[in-house]
Amino acid sequence: MEGLHIHGAAHAYGDNQVLSKISMVVPGGELVCLLGPSGCGKSTLLRLAAGLEVLQEGSIVIDDVTVATKELHVPPEQRRIGLMFQDYALFPHLNVIDNVSFGLLGMARAKARAIARERLDQVELAHLTEAFPHMLSGGMQQRVALARALAPEPKLLLLDEPFSGLDTNMRASIRQMTLNVLKQSGVATLMVTHDPEEAMFMADRIKILGRGGKILQSGDSHEIYYHPNNEFVARLFGFMNTIKGTVQNAMVQTPFGPVPANGFADGEPAQVLIRPEGIVLSSGGQDGGESSGGIPVEVNSTHLLGHFSVASLKIAADRNGAQEFYVRVHKEFLPELAGRITARIDPEQSFVFADDATVPGEPMLDDLNILSPELKTLLSTGLEPQDKVQKQAEAAE
Amino acid sequence: MPSDTAAITDQLAPSAQNVSWGWVNPWTIGTAVIAGLAIMPIAAIVWIAAAPGEAIWSHLASTVLPGYIFNTLVLMLGVGAGTILIGVASAWLVSTCRFPMQTMFEWAMLLPLAMPAYVIAYVYTDIFEFAGPVQEVLRDLFGWTSKRDYWFPEIRSLGGAISMMTLVLYPYVYLLSRAAFMEQSVGVLEASRVLGRGPWGSFFSVAFPLARPAVVIGVSLVMMETLNDFGTVDFFGVATFTLGIYDVWLNMNNVTGAAQLALTLLIFVIVLVLAERFARAKKRYYVSSGKYQPLPRYQLLGPAKWLAVAVCAAPVLLGFILPVAVLGFYASAHLNQFTNSDMLRFAGNSILLSTLAAILAVLIGTFMAYGIRLRGEKLLKTIVRIASLGYAVPGSVLAVGVLVTLGALDNSIDGTMRRSFGISTGLLLSGTIVAVTYGYLVRFLALSFGSVEASLTKVTPNMDGAAKSLGHGPLSTLRRIHIPMIKGGLATAVILVFVDAMKELPLTVILRPFDFHTMATIVHEFASDEQIGEAAPAALAIVAFGILPVILLSMAIRHSRPGHSQG
Repeated sequence: MEGLHIHGAAHAYGDNQVLSKISMVVPGGELVCLLGPSGCGKSTLLRLAAGLEVLQEGSIVIDDVTVATKELHVPPEQRRIGLMFQDYALFPHLNVIDNVSFGLLGMARAKARAIARERLDQVELAHLTEAFPHMLSGGMQQRVALARALAPEPKLLLLDEPFSGLDTNMRASIRQMTLNVLKQSGVATLMVTHDPEEAMFMADRIKILGRGGKILQSGDSHEIYYHPNNEFVARLFGFMNTIKGTVQNAMVQTPFGPVPANGFADGEPAQVLIRPEGIVLSSGGQDGGESSGGIPVEVNSTHLLGHFSVASLKIAADRNGAQEFYVRVHKEFLPELAGRITARIDPEQSFVFADDATVPGEPMLDDLNILSPELKTLLSTGLEPQDKVQKQAEAAE
Repeated sequence: MPSDTAAITDQLAPSAQNVSWGWVNPWTIGTAVIAGLAIMPIAAIVWIAAAPGEAIWSHLASTVLPGYIFNTLVLMLGVGAGTILIGVASAWLVSTCRFPMQTMFEWAMLLPLAMPAYVIAYVYTDIFEFAGPVQEVLRDLFGWTSKRDYWFPEIRSLGGAISMMTLVLYPYVYLLSRAAFMEQSVGVLEASRVLGRGPWGSFFSVAFPLARPAVVIGVSLVMMETLNDFGTVDFFGVATFTLGIYDVWLNMNNVTGAAQLALTLLIFVIVLVLAERFARAKKRYYVSSGKYQPLPRYQLLGPAKWLAVAVCAAPVLLGFILPVAVLGFYASAHLNQFTNSDMLRFAGNSILLSTLAAILAVLIGTFMAYGIRLRGEKLLKTIVRIASLGYAVPGSVLAVGVLVTLGALDNSIDGTMRRSFGISTGLLLSGTIVAVTYGYLVRFLALSFGSVEASLTKVTPNMDGAAKSLGHGPLSTLRRIHIPMIKGGLATAVILVFVDAMKELPLTVILRPFDFHTMATIVHEFASDEQIGEAAPAALAIVAFGILPVILLSMAIRHSRPGHSQG
């Protein structure tokens, strides 16, 4: 039973239940990512594992040693865990090497420094051992914090939003380096983040934590992305075109044609969520759109956003023009050159869920960054979905 | 932060450049004159000390000097250690733990700041001396009759002086280390716990080292105050430099010797100023990055809880409540003092001098702060820095410097008048309230300048820009933006200088006109004659005024949790 085992952990701050009976395992050598919006209790879970919060219910076991139950609280300094804080929490009065060797207690100074130097070498900072934290860039500080957390060879490593303080340019390379270091050390790691991309990049296993502190789904990136088991999980990865309807003969009718809704009873209200990249456009010309199973659409506007474009479109036959759809297209998209355009739904990128208002909470749009920046720009032109974004944001306040 | 200042300077530079002719502008010249006046007393001491006079230095060096150095050093170290112990411990408890009355102690710890060291020295002498109530009770209890029957610590001693000053000066260390503990990100302490150190280990390896620059600043201020003290060491007869200067000056009537002693004392001061500056520079880097969460506090339970209460309560009780109670008891027996015409005149003198000093200091401080804001040249900054050095110079040293300076000025005026008109003007300024005010200004200028400058930083250059872009001229901007925003800071500065001037003793004693008393000097005089009862009402009045800055500080404390609203 190597690794971290959490059993029925619950935690409340006063009346606010932030975690409800969570059970999870981080097996030895694996990297598990806890993904969820802020306020879902994921940081609390980390702090419970670290011993910085006292467990109210359930139990926590690290490498076969029970460290917390309702009655037992092993203080953080005796748990042999590594924790990397979101703000790194480097000691400003100590230089890099002293920071890294801080946790190497009970050994000769020379030996501690040798180990620390090795760790720093691993994160490519061996040349900065004498520098003080305020002299380092954000990325360097992050790597010092990582080296410091790993130096005492913890039984478990906890990472709290490890890349949120870095700017976008640096993030990718630091992420890669962090992953390499973690894999080399083979330490069981629990990381929390609100960034789906980060989770998919880093994790062997992702656990989605919803509002109210419940684990909604658990699996690898493929499962989570292609087989979300509820609306909340599906919406985590960005904007979704939503079509509401009623199930008939295990199908939901959409303007793009019927979508299979297995496991739903007839007459049940349902909604179809389609990713922007899940609407596939073809230019009807030579081949004729209808043959590819698409239906004619009209393009309202397109925006080039680098290596892809976002287009908003309407169903051509829909005279009322009530609903607009957003589509992501690779490269620049120039509808006037494309001629007659048809659209169909990619079944891998569309999902059917029950349409009940009480689904485990609509994700908070702004928290989750579910809108990629380009869509945010697009939507802020005053189009209909903007209202929805605002309403949801307001509801979340 | 230096980069901020640089940015402000950069932004202002283009417009300032247009109207400047180098250093020839009202701000630089005005500030240079102020700095000149402020530095004159110190320069005078150096001048006189270096001048060939009677060969008293070798005499002093072979007789009293070693004693002065020893006593002064022991006093400084003792008070430093005592204030660190009380100040840091109470600050740590109050800012990281939860125990009964903790929120009350947050401000109550500051109360002894209202108590001048000399006042509590009189009170405790009254309590602990041979004829005092404590020894009397002991004698009754154990049947002792004379001094030879038992041992009792002598309050009028070096140790007594250390205790008295520790009790009233620890709030400096408390204030600064509390602020330092509050601004440490919780993460740093938690990181230490996770990396294997327990609560005590984390305190000594992380929390305290991080607070160390703040503690050093606090202790250097404490030591400056220790060097400045005259009332306590005079009353206790502890031969320190301050007392030595007074003695050589007034009893031996030797200017050169006093100046030489003063100069030696200045070396101590320079060390302290450098320590403070260095710590301030270092402190910038010790502010841990990142977010501030509401501090989770250790809930203290059982005996630990009551120990914490005791640790916080003892200094407040001994440094404030007990002395105030004793003074109140005596004052109630001397109620007539409150209406005594002499006493009222002395109170009037105090208020007149303090008001004069406060208003002038704030006007000059404002002038210098605006000078720096409008023309952030290096030269001007250096001058301002020199001008505000007086805060570190002990009152007795400053007094000698002021006397020498004004004496020289009076003599030259007198000489000129006699040569030209055959009239002797005598001593025009020496021994007048002008001399006292001059001394106060030199000493308290840094206080007023600091407050004004701090409040002026809240008015960012962009606010000026915004006002201008909205069509307001300089005067309208001053009236509608600057004055409303800095008036709180100005009021604070007035109060701080007023109260400090009211408590001031060494400068006043040496510089005052003949037979002129303030409340501070009359308290000192009564107490020296062992008339504590007569001294009590005036002492109580000084303490009452001293409460004002305590209130200001405790209000500032409430509003200054880092990460919330600052400033």
